[in-house]
Amino acid sequence: MLKTDISRRDFLKLGSAAVSALAVGQFIPPPVARAAYQTEALDSDGSGYINTMCEMCVWRCGVRAKVVEGKVVKLEGNPDHPHSHGRLCARGQSGLMNTYDPDRVLTPLIRVGKRGEGKFRQASWSEALDMVADKMLTISQNYGPEAMVFSSTHNLSQPLFENLLYGFGSPNYGTQRSLCFNAMVTAFTLTYGIEEPARNYDNVQYILLVGRNLTEAISTSETTELIDSVARGAKLVYLDPRYTKTASKSSEWIPIRPGTDLAFLLAMINVIVIEKIGNCEFIEEHTVGCDKLPDHIADYTPQWAEARTGVPAETINRIAHEFAEARPNALAHPGWRTSNFINSFQTERAIATLNAIVGNIFEPGGCLIAEDTEAASIPLGSPPQPAYPRISATRLDGVPWKYPLVPLKLGVFQELRDAVLTGKPYQAHGWFISRQNPVQSLPDQRKTLEAFNKMDFIVTMDILMNDTGWFSDVVLPEASYLERYDPLMPLGDHIFIRQPVIEPQGEAKSALWVYKELGTRLGLGDFFQYKDEEDYINQQLAPLGFSLSELRLHGSVQTPVAEKSDEIKFNTPSGKVEIYSQTLEKAGFAPMPTWEEPPQPKAGEFYLLTGKVGQHTQFGTQNNQLLHKYEDVPRLWMAPEAAKSLGLKDWDMVEVTSPAGSVKVALEVTSAIRSDCVYLTPGFGHVSMALRTAYGVGVSDSVLHVTYVDPISGGQALSQTFVSVKKA
Amino acid sequence: MSTKNHYAFVIDVARCIDCRACLVACSVENKVPMNHTRIWVHDQGVQGEWPDLSHTFVPYNCMHCDNPPCTEVCVSGATYKDAVTGLVLVDQEACIGCGYCVEACPYGARYIDQRRGVVDKCTACVQRLEVGLQPACVATCVGKARMFGDLNDPTSEASVAIQNATSVTRLDYEKDGTDTDPNIFYLNLPTTGSILSSDTFNQVPNATLPRDSRYTIAEEGWKKVAIPVLAAAMGATFLVQAFFFTKQLVAGEKEFEE
Repeated sequence: MLKTDISRRDFLKLGSAAVSALAVGQFIPPPVARAAYQTEALDSDGSGYINTMCEMCVWRCGVRAKVVEGKVVKLEGNPDHPHSHGRLCARGQSGLMNTYDPDRVLTPLIRVGKRGEGKFRQASWSEALDMVADKMLTISQNYGPEAMVFSSTHNLSQPLFENLLYGFGSPNYGTQRSLCFNAMVTAFTLTYGIEEPARNYDNVQYILLVGRNLTEAISTSETTELIDSVARGAKLVYLDPRYTKTASKSSEWIPIRPGTDLAFLLAMINVIVIEKIGNCEFIEEHTVGCDKLPDHIADYTPQWAEARTGVPAETINRIAHEFAEARPNALAHPGWRTSNFINSFQTERAIATLNAIVGNIFEPGGCLIAEDTEAASIPLGSPPQPAYPRISATRLDGVPWKYPLVPLKLGVFQELRDAVLTGKPYQAHGWFISRQNPVQSLPDQRKTLEAFNKMDFIVTMDILMNDTGWFSDVVLPEASYLERYDPLMPLGDHIFIRQPVIEPQGEAKSALWVYKELGTRLGLGDFFQYKDEEDYINQQLAPLGFSLSELRLHGSVQTPVAEKSDEIKFNTPSGKVEIYSQTLEKAGFAPMPTWEEPPQPKAGEFYLLTGKVGQHTQFGTQNNQLLHKYEDVPRLWMAPEAAKSLGLKDWDMVEVTSPAGSVKVALEVTSAIRSDCVYLTPGFGHVSMALRTAYGVGVSDSVLHVTYVDPISGGQALSQTFVSVKKA
Repeated sequence: MSTKNHYAFVIDVARCIDCRACLVACSVENKVPMNHTRIWVHDQGVQGEWPDLSHTFVPYNCMHCDNPPCTEVCVSGATYKDAVTGLVLVDQEACIGCGYCVEACPYGARYIDQRRGVVDKCTACVQRLEVGLQPACVATCVGKARMFGDLNDPTSEASVAIQNATSVTRLDYEKDGTDTDPNIFYLNLPTTGSILSSDTFNQVPNATLPRDSRYTIAEEGWKKVAIPVLAAAMGATFLVQAFFFTKQLVAGEKEFEE
């Protein structure tokens, strides 16, 4: 392998050089095409359609990839997949550019310059993996396996990633979850006994979205269902301090004061309970704590809520009545990224309670289904593996010793860095990062980089040189979602497959391959008992009697599922909906949904809101040239009167300052936001110069975000940072 | 001119969420250069007084007019209205790239592909129609705002949507006493205020235009996409022009039923 040092410019050439080298070769049916040919998906010249699954976000739409002579030229939604129904969003449509990004990392890279300087050399897989294993084992010998931190974002190969970290013996596991849905998942787990209730739009007549911006934070099928419902005449009430695109589709937009959704919801509960307009039979039969509810919520009147939310009491009162009257065809949506304020857990508890007291979750055809479609589906086989070694070290993210109710698999990722910086309760020395970009995703970027500086060793696996890779010692090139197999995805009565539609480019490899190869070098081969990706999937399919080729041709197979009983049962300690939770009480928290006053900005400060745009997913798609082509210039939103009072005009460059940091960004004066708020689209402001499309575009809100943790759910409060703005 | 088929787009504005899946799908399907686009979503910005706001997104592309001004000015005969489908198409073998049609189109729906020196525009994805698929923008539309079909067939999705609509709008353009009779039929287009008046479009020409490509694209994925950095400004010019004299014919105009 090439062993000379290379400059950044040389590095930048690497990606396209490797791609060009491939293009020179003539078409020889490679293993993927051959396999596809055998399943009749492709013609003899390597052209046709292959069914697989999208990975431009976590929704996993079914995809039909059009392949011409071994190259993917177009992606279509798979009409047979319940997440796409034949449609893909802008990100899904652009997915081939994620694979053909000229900035793809296509060989393993080893850092040769200083950290953050961007100087790397190419290495072979064996050299890179030997080095990673050697460093990890050295750290383990010197400091114990717990000195290695592992982090990864939710994906289908997660079970193998967990094998790697728990097999290695580290409890330190960071996921994106505490930056995203901890509040929702912990609240619904405690109340209904399931992580995420499914939504049913079939008969919905009344939809309450508490900041769930479904037309910009798109989940293809659900977004389509929402628009269908509104077109059909369902009433959509939408709470958001911003006039988002979802607000423009709503029947009623309520520009509520940030952090006070909870007050609005508690007042709705107050009206429904006090006026007894809920579903009383079910409340008594299926819930715990309803008897205590009238006293508990007595003070949470619409007038009380008006003072906090800025929403007139009569509006709240009317919406409570409308919502109760529409039951069971009313839906208070649980939301998704609910990491907004430290009271977001209570907000989610209130949403769970609101749906329960009108009976939405109990009645057939109700709009909220207290069952997890993924968890309820068919159990797959898996390769045999030993039990994990006993891990006695405490977790550095404070779970459970500081955050007793946060499930281990959710964690409190943003908390890890303090442990790294203070060395308490012990010092971490290495960080293995897979498909994740904590430099951009965690609040307080400066703190993340300081934590990186304390690390002896950082390794990142991704398809691009993302910002975290830029500061890493080794970068491992993963095959893109169009180039690899992943473990299967059961969904309802179907099993879906993600399969390669083209050969991996360069030296890119699947996570299944990388984890096994690394695991073997770490002496953890028993946790990876499969020959290759296809063998892994065959072992998953073994108990079901389906063949891989059958699955490959159609992209899915239908399996018989057990008849469901009509009995309503909840997986909570009481077997009922726990409006009153003893678990919460024992942990020292309020056992019923309770108001918690969120902090407010001082005079001259603004709430810094975060959100989503329909063209990007978190921090991973800004380098996609097709999305870049049609994205808006990311600017700081500010209301006209606020801009006027500060003497600012549209397109002025402004300096935005928070306790964590400061950025300079262009201003967008818009009436689509409250005058006490500003808004930045996240995901821009990349620091990796190897992202040649994304580098230099916009700014990162993670520079500004202060780390605030909800003590119950562990969720980061992403809208609780206050900023000042002045002309730059 | 009557044609065997009368293909038309029907766009339900109430359903458009400006997600831009159509724009990306079109770019990929038709290998549109990074600095151009064949289709747009017009965004006139947030309207109204706080908190009574509205925000409307109007997808558009070539209107495949019944009386297309572009075919009139074409000196090489490359631009034509197809006798079978009714679509306005360009024979790029015959096109000499003079650009007269680009100037003539009141909707700004055409551009010159500098790589090849020919005019390019929406073809309603004829290559897909031939194999029984919907145009790429229609097939992927997340809000089901975009529809396409044969208005000569009363059972087509497009015909049915118009029959069931409460308001249908065509963005007609008149020159020398002749209307263009465009074949995008808008459903639920707001008719209050100045929406879609010439003033609105003139002042806020911010339909979603392609941004400059920052780097040349990988040869592997996109053959021949070497990008001459001209044209972003041209796009904006077209757009101002696009709706400058546009007039709207409001609700109830269902000419095809005659």
